[in-house]
Amino acid sequence: MNEMTKLDIDRVGKTFGGDEPVRALDAVDISIDDGEFVCIVGPSGCGKTTLFRIVAGLEPPTDGEIRLDGTAVTEPGPELGVVFQEYHLFPWLTVEENVGFGLKQQGVDKKERQRRVTEMLSLVGLADAASSYPSALSGGMKQRVAIARSLAVDPSLLLMDEPFGAVDARTKEHLQQELLEIWTETKKTILFITHDVDEAVALADRVVVMAADPGRVSEIVSIDVPRPRRRSDPAVGAYVEQIRRLIGARE
Amino acid sequence: MGRKQTDGGVASGTQPWIRYRSRIDSETVRSYLLGVSGVIGFLILWHLLSLTQPDIVLPSPIAVGERFVDELLSGDMTTALQQSMMHWLPGTIVGTALGVGAGVILGWSRTADQITAPVVRILRPIPPLAMIGFAIAWFGINHVGAAFIIALGAFWINFYATYGGVESVSDDLIDVGRTLGVNGNLATIRTIVIPSALPEILTGIRTGIGRCWMLVVAAEIFGVPGIGREIQRASTNLLVDRVIAYILVLSLMFLVVDTLFRVGQRRALRWRA
Repeated sequence: MNEMTKLDIDRVGKTFGGDEPVRALDAVDISIDDGEFVCIVGPSGCGKTTLFRIVAGLEPPTDGEIRLDGTAVTEPGPELGVVFQEYHLFPWLTVEENVGFGLKQQGVDKKERQRRVTEMLSLVGLADAASSYPSALSGGMKQRVAIARSLAVDPSLLLMDEPFGAVDARTKEHLQQELLEIWTETKKTILFITHDVDEAVALADRVVVMAADPGRVSEIVSIDVPRPRRRSDPAVGAYVEQIRRLIGARE
Repeated sequence: MGRKQTDGGVASGTQPWIRYRSRIDSETVRSYLLGVSGVIGFLILWHLLSLTQPDIVLPSPIAVGERFVDELLSGDMTTALQQSMMHWLPGTIVGTALGVGAGVILGWSRTADQITAPVVRILRPIPPLAMIGFAIAWFGINHVGAAFIIALGAFWINFYATYGGVESVSDDLIDVGRTLGVNGNLATIRTIVIPSALPEILTGIRTGIGRCWMLVVAAEIFGVPGIGREIQRASTNLLVDRVIAYILVLSLMFLVVDTLFRVGQRRALRWRA
């Protein structure tokens, strides 16, 4: 492990069940540098979500270890911001209360909390919706709030599980663009899980391609195309082709 | 046309997705008017029906109204109401608090649930009225005994409502809470479980309040003074107009408390679309 390593997924394996155990993940080895944007793609059943829950500290691995800044992750913590596909905003809290939730848990005083919340909401372009309840928001807005909520506590790594999987195509592109801007602005390390190869190639420095039965890393592809990347760019197209073939070959 | 575009108290008015709240106003007026005409229709029907019956079977609404005013002016009614409140209020509050508390604990902790499940199932079907013997033996023929019966009724309703609400709290929200620094049972219950289960808890409390007014009559069966005993006395003496006048007190009290509670409930749950 070198000094630049932010997150080290070290030979992580996971077995579920008692009588007929299922090997969901096997010897997954990924090392992510500080400030890097890494996407994980793979067919359904390749253990993406299991890996997500293990990295988030929501579930223990059966073997191997997750290290964040050299320290083993055994439970969720503020160093690790998590964004779920289904947003999971707290419906009884307003947008600003949702965003300030983590800060409140940490005992940050009201004034500082207000300042951070305002900053986060303008980062995701939702300053006007501060006092709305989530039920009044569209899917794209909800996901922006969820991103602001996870960034508010200033985690060093942002972990996202198919965050744009539940919004329409247009909103998805907007959100991708915004995420890249946030990434550039905040210099966070991002681990982004998706089943959308186009999305992975548009966003990532490196794409980790996973295979199923058992879930494992089959290949890691570096995307050497400067951003912003256009889908019409032949270089982008070539990467998409290559990754599709890698996934397809294993299915 | 001419419809007020209220912004529903949202200060900035910069939220275009909150609209058409004013529609509710005309709808409210409509349902209010329909309700009033329903009441009038009911009274007319009652009056016509009472003309065909002797007073001892069904007195007219006018006779009942006169009796109501008499009882109110003589002070008998307010005294009885005060006496009923002496056990209704503590019984409802204690029963509700214990029911919600037990519902949260057993809905949340699998272990506590498994330990208590058999006992709960044995105790659950016992109607509060069957406990009157115990109420007298343990507390005597007084407000405490009556409050005990009322509390029992409130307890079970609130227990099951809360239990169901807590059980259905989404695991995902609890996971989100963990990633945002909510650690331990107490913090999780306070910050996620209770707010999330609040709609069910409030529905339980509201149902319980209604049930407790009904239990006031039952709880006074063994001689504790109050509205319920007045109803029984009047009934024994075949003073049907008096029976109905006192039943009306219960209905009106229920209406007042329930309306106030609904206002609070709507406020607490304004986050629901």
